[in-house]
Amino acid sequence: MSAEPPPVSAPAAAPGPWRGVLTRFRRHRLAAAALVALVLVGSFAFVGPLLWRYGHDEITPDNSQPPSAAHPLGTDSLGHDLLAQVMRGTQQSLLIALTVAFGAAVVGTVIGIVAGYYRGRTDALLMRLVDLFLTVPTIAVAAVLGHNFAGSGGGWVLIAAVLAALMWTSVARVVRGVVLGLREREFISAARALGSSDLRIMLRHILPNVAAPIIVSVTILVATAILAETALSFIGFGVQPPDTSLGLLVANAQSAVATRPWLFYFPGLVILLIALSINFIGDGLRDALDPTQTKGPRRRRYLARPAERTDAVPDDVLLSVRDLRVVFAADSGDVSAVRHLDLELRRGEVVGLVGESGSGKSVSAAALMGLLPPTATVSGSIHFAGQELVGLAEPHFRRLRGSRIAMVFQDPMSSLSPVHTIGDQVAEAVRVHQGCSRAAARARAVELLDTVGIPDARNRLGDYPHQFSGGMRQRVVIAMAIANDPDLIIADEPTTALDVTVQAQVLAALRAVRERTGAAILMITHDLGIVAEIADRVAVMYAGRLVEVGTAADVFDNPSMPYTQGLLDSVPRLDRPADEELWAIPGSPPSMTALPAGCAFAPRCGIRTPDCSAAVPDLVPVTAGHLAACLRLTPLGDARPETATTSSIPERP
Amino acid sequence: MEIVGFALRRLLVAIPVLFVSTFLIFLAVAKSGDPLAELRERQPPVPPHTIAAEEARLGLDQPVLQRYWDWLTGVVQGDLGPSVDRNADIGMEIGSRLGITMRFVLIAMLIAAVLAILVGVVSAVRQYSWLDYLFTSTGFLFLAMPSFWLAVLLKQGGIELNTLAGSTLIYTVGDSSVIPPPTLGGRIADLAGHLVLPTITLVLINFAAWSRFQRSSMLDVLGSDYVKLATAKGLRRRTVLRKYALRTALTPLVTVIALDFTAVFAGAVVTETVFQWRGMGDYLLESINGRDVNAVMAWLLVAAVAVVLFNLLADILYAALDPRIRRVR
Repeated sequence: MSAEPPPVSAPAAAPGPWRGVLTRFRRHRLAAAALVALVLVGSFAFVGPLLWRYGHDEITPDNSQPPSAAHPLGTDSLGHDLLAQVMRGTQQSLLIALTVAFGAAVVGTVIGIVAGYYRGRTDALLMRLVDLFLTVPTIAVAAVLGHNFAGSGGGWVLIAAVLAALMWTSVARVVRGVVLGLREREFISAARALGSSDLRIMLRHILPNVAAPIIVSVTILVATAILAETALSFIGFGVQPPDTSLGLLVANAQSAVATRPWLFYFPGLVILLIALSINFIGDGLRDALDPTQTKGPRRRRYLARPAERTDAVPDDVLLSVRDLRVVFAADSGDVSAVRHLDLELRRGEVVGLVGESGSGKSVSAAALMGLLPPTATVSGSIHFAGQELVGLAEPHFRRLRGSRIAMVFQDPMSSLSPVHTIGDQVAEAVRVHQGCSRAAARARAVELLDTVGIPDARNRLGDYPHQFSGGMRQRVVIAMAIANDPDLIIADEPTTALDVTVQAQVLAALRAVRERTGAAILMITHDLGIVAEIADRVAVMYAGRLVEVGTAADVFDNPSMPYTQGLLDSVPRLDRPADEELWAIPGSPPSMTALPAGCAFAPRCGIRTPDCSAAVPDLVPVTAGHLAACLRLTPLGDARPETATTSSIPERP
Repeated sequence: MEIVGFALRRLLVAIPVLFVSTFLIFLAVAKSGDPLAELRERQPPVPPHTIAAEEARLGLDQPVLQRYWDWLTGVVQGDLGPSVDRNADIGMEIGSRLGITMRFVLIAMLIAAVLAILVGVVSAVRQYSWLDYLFTSTGFLFLAMPSFWLAVLLKQGGIELNTLAGSTLIYTVGDSSVIPPPTLGGRIADLAGHLVLPTITLVLINFAAWSRFQRSSMLDVLGSDYVKLATAKGLRRRTVLRKYALRTALTPLVTVIALDFTAVFAGAVVTETVFQWRGMGDYLLESINGRDVNAVMAWLLVAAVAVVLFNLLADILYAALDPRIRRVR
């Protein structure tokens, strides 16, 4: 017997925050193309003038010429070569915009970090400063100041300084918002507790974490600055002649759009091209820096293929799921979230559906409710109260939802609409299926809220969810679930988001509801304690498959799949010595995009055999009504006792 | 009741902000040059006592702090101070020009907001459909479009349309006809006709950003648990979208639009110069060029007050739309 528990594998080294950014950016084809375009425009503006035969202020004898070989973009009425002028104008505009973005980034970051880090008065004061800059149109103040500097002969640097001084506020607001959130995080508290100076915390811990939003907002700012500078030059308070800018070129051309259109279109299109490229780059950066925000896959029609059922479903079976599969279309290929699920619920029965996150529990629940996103493909059969749900048309499904099958979600803080009253939301659940009067629905709402134990329900109908505690909100959700005496309540981790003491109350409410309405409950959870408390039967899921199912007593007393055993052993127990190390299943659940061959649990299993990776084991009976999917239980496994049972299920230390 | 107190508190906070910003801008404008430069250099020379009298009238002989104090006390009593132009009354001038500018700014904001909501909501509800792609690319195009360039383009389009038709189908210059039509109905039609192109310009450059914002806020809400729960209750998708999704997804846009008022106003300044309206934009440029401190100050003060009022309106709307905000602060 190995005395050492397999070591809990250290979490895979967190990938560096910047690794993958480049890859993801490159995958964003529009952004990559935009970057190429911007580099081309940049070299056109900064290298072009060195190579081109005309200077931007050079007067050639050809005036008012349309585009030709000598003057690819034509000339203006004084004989300036437009290509040379556009190159110079682009150069000035880009210089100004980049300087503005840089200046605004520095000022905005410093002020944002300081405001978010110190909060309180410092924050209030700095935010008033931001308000101050937001009270007047930037372009008006820039015009006033630009006019000041125009007299003193200031060049692009001064214009850039003025615009930067007016534009840092957007960066500061973004940074402050992020820092306010960061400050509450453990690693900041830890650094403070270790006695790091504020400056050090801000530089070492906060700055790297706000880098991503800063980069995105500053990129967008470059485009804003280009548009502001060109507009300023257009109305005559930006770049001054004899120098030129794209805005100035458009201004000079506006009276001659019809006669010399090239003077108007070329500079304008360059501005458009630059701003467009920058916006696309910003979009690409946002997606690349924040992978959770990446674009979803292309829409696919919601597909459902009901399987032919030959077996008769007995009358007392409320829900019979056969070979349910759910496949999601994703950019990286199809992901099977649920692979071959068989499950049965009898009327009034409470079944605990157990598994780690990502095991397919919640997706299965969504399939039962017909609430899968359009990227999902469902096949198999869900037989519910005499009706096939796979492929059921939406109007029919809608009539089942909330009336025959109801659902309780995980987080009561977010599952109630914040802008509608409790009474409205509960009464609506009644009215949508019963079509009774408003007054009757409200009376029923009071009754329902009483049932789930909300004190003084009548007077709380007009309250909003934010006036309720988490546990109370979950009771409200449960009240909505039982509004139409459903046959089945699906509770998806209903207590996970709650405090332990509140958990017990919510479970008690659910139990009371079950007794009163006789509804069957499918309790989805990863908490075996809850299952032990409420469930008649237990179903264990791993990597999208059912791996063990049986009565609560069977499964808890005689876990027959190593994964179930691992789950049971990882529950802290009062009847074990306190200094005993808690068992944890080694490794982590497999990625649904790269499932191991054969039994998906094999790589983490202490008693695996080479055969485990050969074929997916079927559910086989352990005792009557108790099934488990493990090779050791199949005849093949029995045939090879030497390899398979070098250790029988190892006893945990 | 709660909202009134809330609004009053917000107004009180705005006062010191206005005070500081006017002071800074006063300094900047006062230092921007001599408004009498042209008078001093006039040929034949203007007699020194005339110049001295002008200096005294405009307060140029006072130290700048004193001038700000005089201006501030004047403003509090409703006197915007003397203009460099002896014959102009700043209050009257601003009043008429503000009416002209706000006419198309408000209409444009309203149209742009409605358009942004429609486009944003449709894009979000039909995410990744051809309609969404169309709206998204149009949005990106107008986000990158320089306002003045678009204005000149539309103006040119109008001119060419008129040339083709051989008569004035669409007005391209000014805020009203030089000789106004005699009847009231005619005058209103004339004003409306002149509004068309500048309003389109302003709508196009502003609705793009707002519709992008509306799209993402709608998408956030569509993915929220309470929308899922509303669906799980058995509500029709239309009811879920209208009652649960749209209702909450509109609230953030209200703030964005109100905060963007300065940007719309700035866009209006540029648009006016292209269509040669005698509105606020034109007055600002004129006053800056004439170094007319009091006129510039009055302009900025009006703009700042408008911004504060818009922010206040946003706060009130927000509080009215979102019950969670009413209790805070």
